Amino acid sequence: MLAAVRTPRLFSAAAAGALLTASLAACGSGGGPPPNEITVSSNQCGGSWQLPGPGWHTFEINNQSTGGGEIDLIDPANGAVYDEEVNLGPGTVTPMSLDVGSGRYAFLCLFDDFSPLTGATVTVPGHTAGAAAILPVTYNDLIPLAKQYQAYTEAGLKVLARETATVAADVRTGHLAAAKRDWLTAHLQYETLGAAYDAFGDFDDEVDGRADALGVNSPKWTGFYRLEYGLWHGQSVKELTPVAATLSSDVNALLASWPAQQIPLLDVGLRTHEILENALEFQLTGHDDYGSGTTLATTVANIAGTRELLSLLRPLLTPRYPALPAIYTGLTQFQSLLEQQRRPNGTWIPVSALPVRVRQAIDAACGQLDQELSPIASIAEPRNTANAF
Amino acid sequence: MPSEPVPANPLPSDSVPADPPPPARRSFLRGMAGGIAGGVIAGGAAGAAAGYAFRGDPRNPAAVADVTAIDGRLPAVPFHGKYQAGILPDPQRATAVISFDATATTRAELTELFQTVTDRARFLTAGGTPAPAGIGGAPSDSGVLGPTVVPDGLTVTFGVGSTLFDDRYGLAAQTPAHLVPMTPFPNDNLDPAQSGGDLILQLSAGNADTVIHALRDIAKNTRGGMQANWRIDGFASPARPAGTVPRNMLGFMDGVANPAVTSAKTMDSLVWVEPGAAGEPAWTAGGSYFVVRLIRMFVEFWDRVDVYEQETMIGRRRDTGFPLDGDSLHATPDYANDPNGDVVPLTAHIRLANPRTPRSTSSQILRRAYNYDRGLDQVGDLDMGLVFTCFQQDIGRQFEAVQTRLIDEPLVDYISPFGGGYFLALPGVTGPSDYYGRALLA
Repeated sequence: MLAAVRTPRLFSAAAAGALLTASLAACGSGGGPPPNEITVSSNQCGGSWQLPGPGWHTFEINNQSTGGGEIDLIDPANGAVYDEEVNLGPGTVTPMSLDVGSGRYAFLCLFDDFSPLTGATVTVPGHTAGAAAILPVTYNDLIPLAKQYQAYTEAGLKVLARETATVAADVRTGHLAAAKRDWLTAHLQYETLGAAYDAFGDFDDEVDGRADALGVNSPKWTGFYRLEYGLWHGQSVKELTPVAATLSSDVNALLASWPAQQIPLLDVGLRTHEILENALEFQLTGHDDYGSGTTLATTVANIAGTRELLSLLRPLLTPRYPALPAIYTGLTQFQSLLEQQRRPNGTWIPVSALPVRVRQAIDAACGQLDQELSPIASIAEPRNTANAF
Repeated sequence: MPSEPVPANPLPSDSVPADPPPPARRSFLRGMAGGIAGGVIAGGAAGAAAGYAFRGDPRNPAAVADVTAIDGRLPAVPFHGKYQAGILPDPQRATAVISFDATATTRAELTELFQTVTDRARFLTAGGTPAPAGIGGAPSDSGVLGPTVVPDGLTVTFGVGSTLFDDRYGLAAQTPAHLVPMTPFPNDNLDPAQSGGDLILQLSAGNADTVIHALRDIAKNTRGGMQANWRIDGFASPARPAGTVPRNMLGFMDGVANPAVTSAKTMDSLVWVEPGAAGEPAWTAGGSYFVVRLIRMFVEFWDRVDVYEQETMIGRRRDTGFPLDGDSLHATPDYANDPNGDVVPLTAHIRLANPRTPRSTSSQILRRAYNYDRGLDQVGDLDMGLVFTCFQQDIGRQFEAVQTRLIDEPLVDYISPFGGGYFLALPGVTGPSDYYGRALLA
């Protein structure tokens, strides 16, 4: 459901400390290297280099090792990262551009099968502002957060299991009005668990899959949207009873399997913007409205899911992302805009029925938040460090 | 690009208790470069070497590159000036016209929106190297033009519609004298979803990728401040044969008889807002009324009409562009000697549009038409036509007078205006500290 992919880093922390062997590729022919060339290899991390002063600068990173690696430009005092080149192929020259300000700079080389190496420190004097360095977030930083999120999800799934059992009972006993009400409660509960969908694996398709490829008449289509379609298209108690029962049993199976599942560490940061990216794509367009007209309510639930991730990450983000307080303001304003579209009787206005100006305000707010949340994926991506800081 | 501005309007504190206190106000700009990079995005002085920029310093204007060397792209059109730079030039090869509604919630946010559009336009028209993102987020630039943003003749024309002057921003008293909602004419078939808008943006350049790059950049940086309503892409064909005037999708040369843009006197009387005119607020000085009309051409139908009939409807030869009574492209039709329309019919498009009488002189417009081509209609016919744009001093005296004369012209069977709007192209941005609409908003 959440589709973006981010590859795990080449270098794993476990590889640090492996045997160091020299493997210096032969230098290129003729003339000296360009002044901004930074040579790295398994036993050299930048050698002696200089910066002419503040301003935009492009280093050419010449990887003379026989293997791939990562090179970071760091503040050697605290390990904060100015920039990084994650996938440096052997024998390649890769540009690294940076707005250099006053401060200390050193390269950190992280090569497969070799110990991390920190090169010479270069200081740019004065008080010129440049690109800020960001303290790397480590795997160790994220592990407890992922565990907390695991617990949040488990608690949420327990609630969800009760709620889907209620819906199944409503349908089985022929109380379709109650089933509609309870369907919404349960679906919104599911939609607050936005960071876990990948970890849910096939369960996500079973519980919250769209009709897209199957078509609305396919017996293979199951889950919340299938039930929504039936409830709001006049399908019979007889037809919907197995649909609701399957939903309930699939949620129970998911809950039972949950303790064995793991939230990928990358997902904690990545999902902070992906949840609302998907809301913009599937809810605010009305794509996922199978009859109930509640995609704005779903978006409110998605905001709750985003807030949960942000609150877990807040200690890591506060020193690293100055826009964080503004994001909270934006989320609050966005939620308020959405909640104004709830009618006094508790039902929701479908997006297709919104006045143009209201819909524009909602779409603009969501797009703006997606824009502002997106840097968190990079900032909270787990990074390797030399463990020397 | 301004940094986080001084709070002007504290927001109501309606956060949930668990949240940290909200900042004084939101900013469209705060997402830029993740709010991490301390350096500002390079302005027009951004450095760029021809080809691949390995070094450029935004603080060092001498580093500005000769970007014309890149792939035959056009040089930069100076952004700063009394008038917007995209109004007088001939149509460029590629254009996009996008209508937006403002979603800024306060006058201060609206001002910030206009400042942001200004900053991005200033950078995009000059070209340069986008700010490196570091590890703090996604790249600041889409990369569509490669590592160095080439200006490629980009012009950005930014305008306002009458709906911006409603009660949202307290601008009603500043409404330009001739700015009204677009008038539906008898043969129009206007779609509200493709008409009007608080704001209009026209991006024109030498290549479609340059236009798209500029659109993505501006949209990304104004995400919360305005929301797109409708959009149409257009193109101007090369003149065929060379030295003539580009043709429209009817196969005829379009915009042969335009007023002389090299004559300041003519432009002052026909294109630029008239300073001190009755009801015209002072802030509009340097602006120009901007009419956009999206006109479908039923080209299959047209192609089934014999050429003499086509020429009779237009009033020009299809091959040469000559007026039917003339022997050169720019010959002035002599309607006085053809009072009954024996040569150029009285209902010919060019004769109705510009009857060449003393009275009609002041109704001339600066016509800037582009072709559009966007797929198919419901019966599989080609959806193509004209992005008609024109600039003028007074929409009523000019565009509407011309359009009134054209009501029920024979050509109406082959065309259908379906959208567009009336706007005021804002006064030019005069220098690095100026911004679009400053005199309106300050």
